[in-house]
Amino acid sequence: MPCERKPMRYGHSEGHTEVCFDDTGRYIVTCGNDGDVRIWESLDDDDPKFITVGEKAYSLALKKGKLVTASSSNTVQIHTFPDGDPDGILTRFTTNATHVTFNHSGTRVAAGSSDFMVKVVEVSDSSQQKTLRGHEAPVLSVTFDPKDEYLASSSCDGSVVVWSIEEQTQVISWPLLQKTNDVSNATSLCRLAFQPAAGKFLAVPVETRVHLYERGSWDHVGSLSDELLTQPVNVASWSPCGRFLAAGAVGGLLTIWDVNSRLVVERQKHEKGFTVCSLAWHPSGSQIAYTDTEGCLGLLDGLGTSGTGTDSTKAPAAKPANDYDDLFDEDDDRLMDEGLSDANSPVKKAAEDEDDDDFLIPSTGRVRNRAAILNDENSLDTGSLKLGQDKFGDDDDDDAGSSVAPAAAQRPVYDGPVPTPPQKAFQPGSTPAHLTHRFMMWNSVGIVRGYNDEQDNAIDVEFHDTAVHHAMHLTNSLGHTMADLSQEAVLLACPSTDDLASKLQCLHFSCWDTSKEWMVDLPQGEDVKALCLGQGWAAVATSALLLRLFSVGGVQREIFSLPGPVVCLAGHGEQLLVVYHRATGFDGEQALGIQLLQFGRRKRQLMNGEPLPLSPKSYLSWAGFTAEGTPCYVDSNGLVRMLNRALGNTWTPVCNTRETCKSKSDHYWVVGAHENPQQLRCIPCKGSRYPPTLPRPAVAILPFKLPLCQTGTEKGQMEEQYWRSVLFHNHYSFLSSSGYEVDEAAQTQSDKEQQELLMKMFALSCKLEREFRCVELAELMTQNVVTLAIRYASRSRRMNLAQRLSEIALEKSTQLQEDEEPEDEPEFSRDRRFRQTEPYNTRQNEEEEQEEDEEERVEEEDGREMETEETKRRLNPFAKESGFPAKPSLTPIGRVGRSNPFKVADSGKPTSSSGQPRASNILDNMRSSRKLAPLSGSAGKPGKGPVLKPLAPRAKAKAQSTLLQISSNKTANKKTVEAAEPAADLQKQPDAAAPPAENTENKRPKTGFQLWLDENRKIIIADNPDLDETDVIKEAMGRFRTLSADERLSWTERAKGQSGDAADLKKRKRAENEAVESDESNARKKSSSLDSSSKLSAFAFSKN
Amino acid sequence: MDPSEVEFLAEKEFVKIIPNFSLDKIYLIGGDLGPFNPGLSVDVPVWLALNLKQRQKCRILPPEWMDVEKLEEMRELERKEDAFTPPPSPYYMELTKLLLNHASDNIPKADEIRTLVKDIWDTRVAKLRLSTDSFIRQQEAHAQLDNLTLMEINTIREFLLDSLNCMYKLRSNLQPGATKGQFADY
Repeated sequence: MPCERKPMRYGHSEGHTEVCFDDTGRYIVTCGNDGDVRIWESLDDDDPKFITVGEKAYSLALKKGKLVTASSSNTVQIHTFPDGDPDGILTRFTTNATHVTFNHSGTRVAAGSSDFMVKVVEVSDSSQQKTLRGHEAPVLSVTFDPKDEYLASSSCDGSVVVWSIEEQTQVISWPLLQKTNDVSNATSLCRLAFQPAAGKFLAVPVETRVHLYERGSWDHVGSLSDELLTQPVNVASWSPCGRFLAAGAVGGLLTIWDVNSRLVVERQKHEKGFTVCSLAWHPSGSQIAYTDTEGCLGLLDGLGTSGTGTDSTKAPAAKPANDYDDLFDEDDDRLMDEGLSDANSPVKKAAEDEDDDDFLIPSTGRVRNRAAILNDENSLDTGSLKLGQDKFGDDDDDDAGSSVAPAAAQRPVYDGPVPTPPQKAFQPGSTPAHLTHRFMMWNSVGIVRGYNDEQDNAIDVEFHDTAVHHAMHLTNSLGHTMADLSQEAVLLACPSTDDLASKLQCLHFSCWDTSKEWMVDLPQGEDVKALCLGQGWAAVATSALLLRLFSVGGVQREIFSLPGPVVCLAGHGEQLLVVYHRATGFDGEQALGIQLLQFGRRKRQLMNGEPLPLSPKSYLSWAGFTAEGTPCYVDSNGLVRMLNRALGNTWTPVCNTRETCKSKSDHYWVVGAHENPQQLRCIPCKGSRYPPTLPRPAVAILPFKLPLCQTGTEKGQMEEQYWRSVLFHNHYSFLSSSGYEVDEAAQTQSDKEQQELLMKMFALSCKLEREFRCVELAELMTQNVVTLAIRYASRSRRMNLAQRLSEIALEKSTQLQEDEEPEDEPEFSRDRRFRQTEPYNTRQNEEEEQEEDEEERVEEEDGREMETEETKRRLNPFAKESGFPAKPSLTPIGRVGRSNPFKVADSGKPTSSSGQPRASNILDNMRSSRKLAPLSGSAGKPGKGPVLKPLAPRAKAKAQSTLLQISSNKTANKKTVEAAEPAADLQKQPDAAAPPAENTENKRPKTGFQLWLDENRKIIIADNPDLDETDVIKEAMGRFRTLSADERLSWTERAKGQSGDAADLKKRKRAENEAVESDESNARKKSSSLDSSSKLSAFAFSKN
Repeated sequence: MDPSEVEFLAEKEFVKIIPNFSLDKIYLIGGDLGPFNPGLSVDVPVWLALNLKQRQKCRILPPEWMDVEKLEEMRELERKEDAFTPPPSPYYMELTKLLLNHASDNIPKADEIRTLVKDIWDTRVAKLRLSTDSFIRQQEAHAQLDNLTLMEINTIREFLLDSLNCMYKLRSNLQPGATKGQFADY
């Protein structure tokens, strides 16, 4: 017999609880230690009706609209059901009653008490009482014989007694139980039960078994036991059909036996192992409700025993039914033979009762019924379908059995996905409208409370920050049900009534004129469904699928149609979020769509009806914006999702509020979210989804956490932190793109934090020998940090890694340059770090790109003084945090002021540089330092030398020294004179090199180029006789470039052969005019840029 | 030491408030406070909480122990045990007095709490007197009393020390060989 165990939910405070169903099975009724009787419409009823019956309620019984409870005031009282009005006191004891029960017809009530007495009282006339005396200890439990002849009771004195009600005498007494002095000390509550209808057996829980006594003869005819049942049985209860017996035990085991076969048909364990202290069968027999001593309520659903009077049952029930049939048939035969006059014969009883009590009696083993049973399997599905239609949001079909109409059950029905009822429109941050005291809105600005009871129908508006406005108290004569609150206004709306149209009322308290209120009537037949306030506007979604915009002063603005019935609206600044029903969901799912609009100067739609992702079988419970303006929503499963604008407007789950809940029925009611600091503001609600207005709930703060894998490990943790940081700082780019002010400090701070995390992850992967992963991480870093990473890698002797990183560093710097180009068109939707190289549109850009490559090489090869404008621009991003627009500066001072990021790297490296003779030729220099690099490597300093090389451009040092020279060596150095006037960059260095003889004080070794030039000068002059000196050198430069690498190398070797004193000629940088740049230089650069990076790496690492 | 001095010390205890104004972090000698966000609870010293409360700038959230059920439990325990039980807070008496006097509207069941705390106080002070009594009776040189709060010590200090002095004088007078001169030393 399969059944589904529903999760337990909080019902009452800790202590003894009892449960029963009402006659129709629509309600579950429980009572508990808190003195309340709660009436649950289903297990998921978050707002059960309750009746307070006393300080404590010990027991309850419900029949025919009368609720009888035993309370701590030593009385047994009646309340009407379901209204809960007190209906008098039935009887009193000298101490509290322990158990009350109705007889079958509901005319009498039996109550057992701690004063050792059992009383039987007529419900209609409480003066007619019968008192059964004889127990010598508190009475544990009482039960009526279905025929009202007998009454059985168990007591703490250890006895189980059967009384004759009329004679008020003991019929029989068994000493079965352990003796105790009080109910609270008893090992078992020993809830006895007479078999309903037939009344053949009396079931008595004794220790771990349930004894069955035959009515009349009072013989012990057998016991029901189960080997798994090791703790005392607390309570026994017959199914309405009398075929099955359910028992709940200490320790939480629930067992159901088929009484005829004495076999266990179902076992369930309480999810927390608490003692089951009460259980009740649904009148249809398809559910069992049970409660435990911790005050929780549970439900077993879909019990196949049902086979209710409507002849419908689930297929799985067929097996026990089968067994039963066999047994029954046998019985039948035998009894037939024996002359079936015996009144106790179950068969006869069943057969007799079947006609008159069709609803309660199961389709017992008639073969003709069995066919019907097997044919009709879908009754429960029909039930859930029906249920789904009248009840929203509860994704279970608890009440299935109860709402099955017999007629529906017999029709063959559609057996497939069931449409979900669409969730109703709601205001995020409000509690349900049916409450008398409710929050109409709780947001970051303040609280709007609605009171709607007999004496008062009012609205209270209170601001978190009293600087906004003082609190307001309004009478709610129009019956407003919806509210929103902003820094400027309170917006209220009421649905239409028979004679009044739906109204929208706005209290524009920030208004500077004297009329601070306006009101708008909606057209006839149109109801406000949802509303929200933004900055300077109000939006209202109506039942006519229209979205109406108003200015906050009451001017009607745009109006547009919604694609579907609205679910909720949310506004923030200039943004409006609309959630609507996109389609019909199936099987508990909602199909919601979302629109995100932006007003203001540039009106546009940012999200165009995309589906809103929700957890399975959940619905939307909150939607809004973070304080920074990122859309964000919460579903009923407690999952918070936030818009990731950097990833094409996708939704990222950022928090699961249910993870922090202690109990299953606890929830967090979200009221707001902040991205900086990262806070989810919500109100913890014990045992419900939303908070009561009193006592005033306190806001708690939950941290965000991305559901990344393995966050227990250090790696996972850092990854989570990193991506969370990235996600939660997306709003900066959005804000700046929409023209808001951005907190620069916080932004750089967050960037720093992210880079630190990356560096940590990098170090971790390094430690774990995950070099590939290191490179992947380096891709995410900014250029500065890559430099650091390179240093780290080289320190830990990972040359291969360092080499790869330097390539990345190169790429990064190129990208940085590119990124600065399209500065005028902000692209907030893409994170700069992940931006791909964008195709260049203009030739100009292309050239620049190549030039940059060239420049890098130049820099890294450490000897070039050429500084073009591009170089300067390139340097800028390094100098400060990336992202500063490059401003070409023509003054040398400007350049000097910039710090060189590579400076750090080179400081530790003695091999080349400022101390070195400053050669004038790039190529030459490259070669000489190439030679030096291996030297330093082999000198046993691999940790330092090699890495730093590529990052050791002398740009800054050069610039400074150049300046120095400009001021001090003017007379001495001819070149400086030339430098005073702007000239093409290329001119300088050949100038410097070509006439070495003139350069008396700066005697330097000749470079390969110089040698080559000496040899080829004539040829060049012959080719271009009209060239002057500088042009000759330019031309020579171009030609030298076209030589093969080997040839150039040989020239360099030759140059080295000729030794020379290291003369220190400092070159100066020079303000350059782009216009002067010749095509030749471009050509040269192009040719050289191709292999620059490979040269670079070779330069840095090849010898290691 | 004056009781008001003890109260002054108690004012350094932290308590949660919900401000209704917004203010950035404030940097004080004793440490940084804030930031204050309207509607969000924040920890501040009692002196500031009371000041803000008096200016109607905040709502004070009662400390966790200031709860009828918890105090009832404590009272029962205090009555049961012979020794001192750990107090709910080292400044429970002062805090109760301060908070209930200035912010009773923010504390549910303020009157019950006042009674309970008074009960606990009375029990403890009675115990203290009792142990002082036995200390003197048995003429012990030293005794150890755990879990006493500053305020409790303060109530008994002056009296105990004076009386001990006094008794010493009397006893030294009784002793044979004791002279007037010795007495004069004290």
